[in-house]
Amino acid sequence: MSTAEFEQDVVALEQEFEPAKVQGRAELEARDISVWFNSRKVLEGVNLAFPKNTVTALIGPSGCGKSTFIRTLNRLHELLPGAALAGEVLYEGEDIYGPTKDPVHIRLSIGMVFQKPNPFPSMTIRGNVLSGLKLSGMKRSNHDEIVEQTLTSAGLWNEVKDRLGHAAGELSGGQQQRLVIARALAVQPHVLLMDEPCSALDPASTLKIEETIRELSKDITIVIVTHNMQQAVRVADYTAFFLAAENEPGHVVEQGRTTEIFGNPQDQRTLDYVNGRFG
Amino acid sequence: MTTTFDPDTLGALQLQKKTHPWRKRTTKFDVSVAIAVAIPLAVVIALLLFSGVPGAMVFVIYLPLQMFASGCAALATRGKRGILDSVIIVNAVGASVFTFVVIISVLWSLVTKGLQALSIPFLTQNSTYISPSTPLEYGGMAHAALGTLLIVTISALIAVPIGIATAIYITEVRGKAVPYVRFFVQSMSGVPSVVAGLFILTTLILTGAINTSAFAGGLAYAVLMLPTVARTAEEVLRLVPDDLRTGALALGSTRARTVLQVVLPAAKTGIVTAIILGVARVIGETAPLLMTAGKNDATVTDPFSDPISTLPIAIFENVAQPYPDAVTRAWGAALILMVMVAILFTVARLLGRNKVK
Repeated sequence: MSTAEFEQDVVALEQEFEPAKVQGRAELEARDISVWFNSRKVLEGVNLAFPKNTVTALIGPSGCGKSTFIRTLNRLHELLPGAALAGEVLYEGEDIYGPTKDPVHIRLSIGMVFQKPNPFPSMTIRGNVLSGLKLSGMKRSNHDEIVEQTLTSAGLWNEVKDRLGHAAGELSGGQQQRLVIARALAVQPHVLLMDEPCSALDPASTLKIEETIRELSKDITIVIVTHNMQQAVRVADYTAFFLAAENEPGHVVEQGRTTEIFGNPQDQRTLDYVNGRFG
Repeated sequence: MTTTFDPDTLGALQLQKKTHPWRKRTTKFDVSVAIAVAIPLAVVIALLLFSGVPGAMVFVIYLPLQMFASGCAALATRGKRGILDSVIIVNAVGASVFTFVVIISVLWSLVTKGLQALSIPFLTQNSTYISPSTPLEYGGMAHAALGTLLIVTISALIAVPIGIATAIYITEVRGKAVPYVRFFVQSMSGVPSVVAGLFILTTLILTGAINTSAFAGGLAYAVLMLPTVARTAEEVLRLVPDDLRTGALALGSTRARTVLQVVLPAAKTGIVTAIILGVARVIGETAPLLMTAGKNDATVTDPFSDPISTLPIAIFENVAQPYPDAVTRAWGAALILMVMVAILFTVARLLGRNKVK
């Protein structure tokens, strides 16, 4: 057996055992998640594992339940009227929907960045970065350090370092989005959920945020919903493809390593979608 | 590639003047407008000068006349679609001018008549030993102004926290009782002010629980103020985008902290408006005070012990007297009340300005 052949075998083996391996060290795992709004079922039987310190991209056409799914991962889903859920979400091996779990705690460890930037208008730039500490009652003394560090991570520090005391509303949309990323990082989450964080941004800001995501994935687990295929390829280690047929709940068609999903998809629909033939 | 300007072009650029091409009018347009303005005006002047039609009646005639004239001008210059446009504009302008004239005339009579009463003693003295026939040089409204301030403060202290808490229950807590709470708050806003006074009179004063006093007046005012504050605060809290609430919750905030540190600060200006509207709702109310606060010519500072006079009561007492000086006093009291309202609202607006922290 030549070296090349041997390596091919190893790759094949790795792929074969990937799911088990993934599950073993998954930090966050959704098991058989189904979601309803009133009587309408919008998601069915989603099984996804998010290994520690990796980036997972959720792709799929609009209305297939990606955003709904991501909101089940930190218990924001339950705030919407008519929301219902089946299945469980394991975080560090325990169901976050368990009877003894406090959603406030869960959301502190599993942070979220939204599609639309939502800085708090009554606070300054600095106040916004530190707002998570204040809102969650975290006691930290090195505020200046946190502000500089998180704003640097979010790629915003150089643009705002001279006007930290200004209102957050003065920033442009792209800057606001990076500000809320910094805000989410300031409470040091273990998992960061990002719901189309770059959909309102220009290419330069998008690139900065993608660099930030790569950098952050050394320390935290990231789940990102995106409509931008290239973005998924650039930032994600794993990709899951969601799809919903007309009037049917969404489900995961295919999941796996990003290179596999984009390079060698097993399902025809995935192939069509990643090649831009629909959606 | 860099663009270079040759000196000629540069000169031309500098010579270019500001213009407003969209304001260019044709002669036909100018003439039509002139006719549409001149004819109704001429008719009005002719009527005023040469006919016995009363002045007020002439203005009632003027508006439809102007609408017709403007409509014709619009038809001539812009075609059929212009007619409705011009009629609506004439109506809107007419209505705002009417409102403006009414408000200015009220203010004008208040200021001119009120100023006759105004003097240092009028602002600093009370009305002890003053009868309706006493000349204006003696006595003042300080006791009534103090009474109004005291009662409004008491009612605001009671109604504002409860009103905002109600609004928070409706928009933030979103409990099961929301429809009922809203229903009762809405019906409460329909309670006539005299009923609020009667309510306090029969339940608290006649039973001996409290005296006829500033506190009793404040309670009656609070009954009236509460629904206004609650409903306005509800409206403004509703305007706070849900993104902010979700954003705060996603940071691991509790619901209480979300409301206190994100939602309320974001709605600060609106909450101040709610308080202002609440105060405005009650500050001139006379009927409930007749039954709860009574009147007193002396200055009272204890809100619980004695009856107390207020500006609305002072106006009510003086205006019906057959002595011109008493009537002037009433105007003076009304002027003080209005200035007080203006000052209160300005201060509230200044405090409620959006400042970021």
